[in-house]
Amino acid sequence: MTQLLLFNITNGLIIGAFYVLMAIGLSLILNLSNVINFAHGGFLVVGGYIAYTLEPYLGFWGALIVSPFLTAIIGLAVEKTLISRVYGRDPLYSLLLTFGLAFILEDGTRVIWGANGKPFTIPAALAQPLSNQFFFITSYRLFMVAVVAVTIVLLFLLLRYTRAGVRIRAGTLDLETVSALGVNVRALRSLNFAVGIFLAGLSGVLAAGQLGLEPTMGAGLLMPSFIAIIVGGVGSLTGTLVGGLLIGVASGVTAVFFPAASEAIMYVLMAVVLLVRPRGLFGEEGMLT
Amino acid sequence: MTKRLKLGAVDSRALIKAGGVAGLAQIAAPFVWSARAADTIKVGIIDPFTGVYAAVAQNELIGVKYAVEQINAKGGVLGRPIELLVEDSANDVGTGVQKARKLIERDGIQFLIGDVNSGIALAIAQVSNEKKVLHIVSGGHTDGITGKDCHWNVYRVCNTTKMEANSVAELLFNKYGKKWHFITPDYAFGHTLQEAAQADLKKFGGTVTGNELTPLGTTDFSAYLIKARAANPDVLLVLPQGLDMVNCLKQVAQFGIDKQIHVAGLQQELESLEAMPPEARVGIWMFEWYWKQPGVPGVEKFVADIRQRSGGKVPTARTWFGYTSMMSYALVANQAKTLDGVTLAKALGNFELPPEVKLQPNKCYYRAGDHQLMTSAFVGEALTKPAGDPEDLFKVDTVIPGDKTSPPESETGCTLQWPA
Repeated sequence: MTQLLLFNITNGLIIGAFYVLMAIGLSLILNLSNVINFAHGGFLVVGGYIAYTLEPYLGFWGALIVSPFLTAIIGLAVEKTLISRVYGRDPLYSLLLTFGLAFILEDGTRVIWGANGKPFTIPAALAQPLSNQFFFITSYRLFMVAVVAVTIVLLFLLLRYTRAGVRIRAGTLDLETVSALGVNVRALRSLNFAVGIFLAGLSGVLAAGQLGLEPTMGAGLLMPSFIAIIVGGVGSLTGTLVGGLLIGVASGVTAVFFPAASEAIMYVLMAVVLLVRPRGLFGEEGMLT
Repeated sequence: MTKRLKLGAVDSRALIKAGGVAGLAQIAAPFVWSARAADTIKVGIIDPFTGVYAAVAQNELIGVKYAVEQINAKGGVLGRPIELLVEDSANDVGTGVQKARKLIERDGIQFLIGDVNSGIALAIAQVSNEKKVLHIVSGGHTDGITGKDCHWNVYRVCNTTKMEANSVAELLFNKYGKKWHFITPDYAFGHTLQEAAQADLKKFGGTVTGNELTPLGTTDFSAYLIKARAANPDVLLVLPQGLDMVNCLKQVAQFGIDKQIHVAGLQQELESLEAMPPEARVGIWMFEWYWKQPGVPGVEKFVADIRQRSGGKVPTARTWFGYTSMMSYALVANQAKTLDGVTLAKALGNFELPPEVKLQPNKCYYRAGDHQLMTSAFVGEALTKPAGDPEDLFKVDTVIPGDKTSPPESETGCTLQWPA
């Protein structure tokens, strides 16, 4: 039993790491632009499908690198033409807009690539369990965790030490003042959105290696990311990180005792956090840090 | 500061509201396409053309459209052409019911086909029954449709979950072993399928080491797989369908579980196998229809014709469901020389499908007592390497006739109430 529990905690951390990658992108966009990006799952799917299309030409590694950039470019175009128009309005506007976008992206992928799922293959070296006992730790999953870790570290470094990163953090705190100081807020928001969508694209490629690639696959991955943000605290990237890992572990552990509730536990966790600490674990009251 | 306070609060709440909206998304109702002409016989099809079952629903539609084309080329039904009205249930029961009412009340259809989703199929069967419209459930498997919830006007083409379980269980038991562990999708279809298989297993004297109920739309199956392997069964039965099954089998292959435990299942579909990488295509399964049947009359022509209409893709079981549902109506109406629902429903009882429609070696007929089509089960193994054609992903070992896999009419729980 202890072994089963330990297995599932480790396993939950691996799953959680994936939620984190997706949630951090969502969180970035939410923090700076107050846009709840419902189309995030759609961009994830687009990222996966672009990788699927590129794989025959560039191989897995090439697709892994190129696809997120292409997804980010699509994201940037969408931001420039559509999302930027609703900045500053009630969040409901962006909510409805991205909600519609999510449908468009899902049906768009269906029109281009077909409704039936596509087999996305990963290099044989990655598709192996590391040991017979720890069969659930495959090289691919370790690789995924490594990619997530590196990406998160890079992102935090970017936010801390680059000019754009500092401005993004400042904008999260007080966009008006940042704007008054002469920073081009429009460009800053575009850059921030593109980085968020880059992360969605990257999640898409990673997900396609492990899950079935299908136009609807984004929907199932979006909710855990939202929950990660709420549990961690809106406005805090660290919170999102912890939130993602936490719901991954909670869901993994629940699967041992009461499998049917392994999904519901995330919502229970969210409800408890909202009741006990409405700002989320790392959210500061009234502050978007 | 006040502003920031407000901003933070709005975000949190809006985010939670957003979650609610995500749930509502399923209800949104997309496109409709139809062509109208004078003096036609209107036929409606309701299927989930958007959402997780979109792929199988589209294949079903290809089959229905092909049948309409064939029927109209041969003079239609009672000399009138068929006009097909297509509605999207968006995989939502409420939407499906609404569309059924619309098709029957506003468009005045004579015959209804649908839905792939068992829950929607059950719900729209109540509407068609209330309105006395002949209805063939093409692809919803849950037993009740031709069991305890059966109706005089409702027939079904695809198998019941009981038939599916009966077709494979014995082979699995004899070939793979007697300790079984289930991964079951947590809804009507999964429950009845699992119960049927478990009943068979008990009959043979086997044991169940566990049953993991997984919510529909589960993406990560690792926790269940960890549990399943710890239970050390002989066979792991993977019962989820569609994307869930693809996710599960991909993870099974990556964890190497198929090298330690026999991995198998009951219902398998070409749509799912095509979505999997080669290493995930393992195990013994049953297909409800398969496109490669050397020597069976009509199959080659059917495959060639469908390829022309689907961008080169072969027909799947779903294509055949759609085709057979539509053809059954035309055949029985032309034979009975009427469009009257009750007369046609009576005439379909014990109606045997001709070779060019059944497209399988065994006798294929609608059973009069429960309105279930006695169609064959194609039992065999998934192929890691395609046998020649890239879509040949399944090796059929035996084709078992429907009346061998189906429980007798007396055991289905169906009592037909005919209108006075």
